[in-house]
Amino acid sequence: MHNTTLSRAEAAATRPVSRGEVADLVREAQDSCMPIELVGGGTSLDYGGRVRGAARQLDLGGLRKVVDYEPRDMTIVVEAGVHMSDLAATLSQENQQLPIDVPRACEATVGGAVATNWCGPRRFGLGTIRDYVIGIHAVDGRGVAFKGGGRVVKNVAGYDFCKLLSGSLGTLGVITQVVFKVKPLPECVAMVVAKCPDLAVAEDALSRLAMLESPPVAIDLLAGPGWPSFSEDSPAEGCFLALRLEGTKTEIDWLFGRMQAELAAAGTRGIDRLEGGQGENLWSHLVEFPECGEVPAPSDGAAAKSPMVMQVIVPPSAVTRFVAELLSIDSRASIQAHAASGVITVCFSKFTPSDLSPILIARLRPSATCAGGSVVVVRTHLEGLTPHLIWGGRNDAVVLLERIKRQLDPMNILNPGRYVL
Amino acid sequence: MDRSTLELADELRRLLGPKRVLDSRSDLAVYECDAFVLEKNCPSVAVLPESTAEVAAIVRLCNERGVAFVPRGAGTSLSGGGMPVGGGVMIVLTRMREVLEVNLRDRYAVVEPGVVNVNLNKRLAGTGFHYAPDPSSQGACTIGGNAATNAGGPHTLKYGVTVNHVLGVELVTAEGEVVQLGGPIDGSPGPDLVGTIVGGEGTLGIVTKVWVRLTRNPQGVRTMLGIFESVDDATQAISAIIGAGIIPAALEMMDQGILVAVEEAFHFGFPLDAEAILLIEVDGLEVGLDAQRDRIAEICRAHQAREVRFAADAKERLQLWKCRKQAFGAIGRLSPSYCTQDGVVPRSKLPHILQRIRAIGKKHDIRIVNVFHAGDGNIHPILLFDERHAEQVKRVLAASDEILTECLACGGSVTGEHGIGLEKLSFMNRMFSNDDLDVMGRLRDALNPGGLLSPGKLLPTAGACGMEQIHPGRHAPV
Repeated sequence: MHNTTLSRAEAAATRPVSRGEVADLVREAQDSCMPIELVGGGTSLDYGGRVRGAARQLDLGGLRKVVDYEPRDMTIVVEAGVHMSDLAATLSQENQQLPIDVPRACEATVGGAVATNWCGPRRFGLGTIRDYVIGIHAVDGRGVAFKGGGRVVKNVAGYDFCKLLSGSLGTLGVITQVVFKVKPLPECVAMVVAKCPDLAVAEDALSRLAMLESPPVAIDLLAGPGWPSFSEDSPAEGCFLALRLEGTKTEIDWLFGRMQAELAAAGTRGIDRLEGGQGENLWSHLVEFPECGEVPAPSDGAAAKSPMVMQVIVPPSAVTRFVAELLSIDSRASIQAHAASGVITVCFSKFTPSDLSPILIARLRPSATCAGGSVVVVRTHLEGLTPHLIWGGRNDAVVLLERIKRQLDPMNILNPGRYVL
Repeated sequence: MDRSTLELADELRRLLGPKRVLDSRSDLAVYECDAFVLEKNCPSVAVLPESTAEVAAIVRLCNERGVAFVPRGAGTSLSGGGMPVGGGVMIVLTRMREVLEVNLRDRYAVVEPGVVNVNLNKRLAGTGFHYAPDPSSQGACTIGGNAATNAGGPHTLKYGVTVNHVLGVELVTAEGEVVQLGGPIDGSPGPDLVGTIVGGEGTLGIVTKVWVRLTRNPQGVRTMLGIFESVDDATQAISAIIGAGIIPAALEMMDQGILVAVEEAFHFGFPLDAEAILLIEVDGLEVGLDAQRDRIAEICRAHQAREVRFAADAKERLQLWKCRKQAFGAIGRLSPSYCTQDGVVPRSKLPHILQRIRAIGKKHDIRIVNVFHAGDGNIHPILLFDERHAEQVKRVLAASDEILTECLACGGSVTGEHGIGLEKLSFMNRMFSNDDLDVMGRLRDALNPGGLLSPGKLLPTAGACGMEQIHPGRHAPV
């Protein structure tokens, strides 16, 4: 399906190493009306659909410098092609972190993570990557290099391009450099799992956790056969809650006691605190899930890539209702819900073109929209989905964004067909 | 009043009735400036809409007549964001002040733009939740205005500024369309348009409804006061606290000049011979707080703090915060006029910038006192003067300019939370290149194509009604 991919040699020809080179290349592309497909680590090129039509790839992997890091100010300036794992390694030397959990972090780049406004399981406690971007350098569709924000943690000078470009999927500008504010690494981390015999118990537990003064930084609800057993209790049915606690040793001990009490009162079973490797293993599953998107084959054979991965965003109070609905559509679907943020990722075990209309168009999207939320097709084997089918209809925001797009990329050469712009 | 203004006022009266359209000189005097008092200009008409539909109708009428219009909240902006540069219609949103919905389970509230910041928190009292952004003017300023300026406050050090707490807005566009961006749920797909509108200083649309995030109250809190012999020691201590990986909920500094005024006004019992005090607050789990508090106290002492006092109870804590938040009110005791600057420097540059501020004050013979959000590196030097003396005003402007230029030289910004407004227009091309400003202009043109909405604000060129950008302050006919 990826007929727009150029050969490696051609891609290498457009691997700029500076913002000036990016600007030159974009200007050239504009002059020749040749659309550009922006490539970071290449891990999310099909996130929300690929670029439409023929396009020249612009590989930003050559922008890989850590420009400046001042640990005492808790800010770091990095070029867009820096890998998320390298960023984490640099920060961890100073006991700091960018608390955004990205799958395939060894390949994924800073620019890509910002362009997708990635959020991982810790979204509830620590937000999305947008919340950490305090400065940004980019090149618009005319080849004009521009910046927004700066290098200080508080700054309201000028329009906030850090926000506008977060989640823009490369449609409004080529991100070339990002300034992040960062956080200290927690002293201790613990994972807690609990099994819910049914979704009603899960709902009770989630309501309790939502009202706590001291909630976990991540509260994931996991359902379906895609999840391995994390507990000695039977894994086959029902669903799990996986919580992540962060803090000092004393705080975590206290928190665990509190979680235990709430989870037990809600009727969950097999409440377990996973330490060390076991905890890390679970955490890595939670972080990588949206990317691997694997579902067991119907005959319990080898795991296969899910033919359809969707992200459903709904109010936190509606999460279990939507999980139930998803399971009623496909009882073998694998589901991860960042429950306290209302972000549900579902990997369907089967999905054919004829399922689009009854499942997505007629059912999930209207009910999510009605609840104030949205449904996005994150990744699929199906071909020919239009951007509006992938992202949802042309709402108020899109109408305004189209006006911004015309100003910043008048020839529509930046990632055409990514997002709805 | 010219004929077209009279006609406009008549048409507005047909929309809103006679009582909510103000066009007499005396009624309009209230709206000639906001809390940035160096510039004044009356709008032609001020209107007090009570609904989104009315705002939209007013905006459409202004578009038909080609008249500029400016939204206004409580008028507490310190940068002239609410000043009607070229006259026109001032759309005062303070009558839209309902809290429309509070949803604790999903952690949001829906408010009209004229809701006073503190009133939302009064409404939330007892629920265990609060709205986190707490500008010092929170007793008067509105949530709509907070959204326009992306307002900060002491507790934004840990909890983030307004943009981190706005989930969605209903917006009347510059052309008078009503649109909804975002909503009760955090994270619509696509570019963060809500985050772009917030902080747009009212130049990208008029916010008529805001979905705000509610934050769970912390389980416990510890508040303390570090008393320092020298400003330098205090700023070094700030740097050390942050450098040690501690993120207090708030970390504020007051210098001796402001302490004296506060003490005279409120009699808190502060030592008047100390050069600086730090007001530090940590919050979170009870089990961890004493350790955090003790660690901070230790760092303060290691930086020659004369004394570290702990607030013993909620009453003492409130008193300390009252002192901080009412500091500006006490400045009246020091001089007839003052000008508050809003620079930001990287936190490690605080000792340097405070030294420079002292030197700059001396050089221009202007007394400068400091009360500011130290943990963020967001300084608020307050320049004291008498605005009746033109020569003093000039020196204040020169000193302000020099301070902000130094902030830029440190890699900082000329505004951390007050906004560019009118006051700092001349700094935009020092912080940003022509290309940066060109792209900002294009963003504004996309959403405010006729330039009638809040002209002359935020960007230094288009829509400035032919006024030259001379200096910080003094752009409008006074």
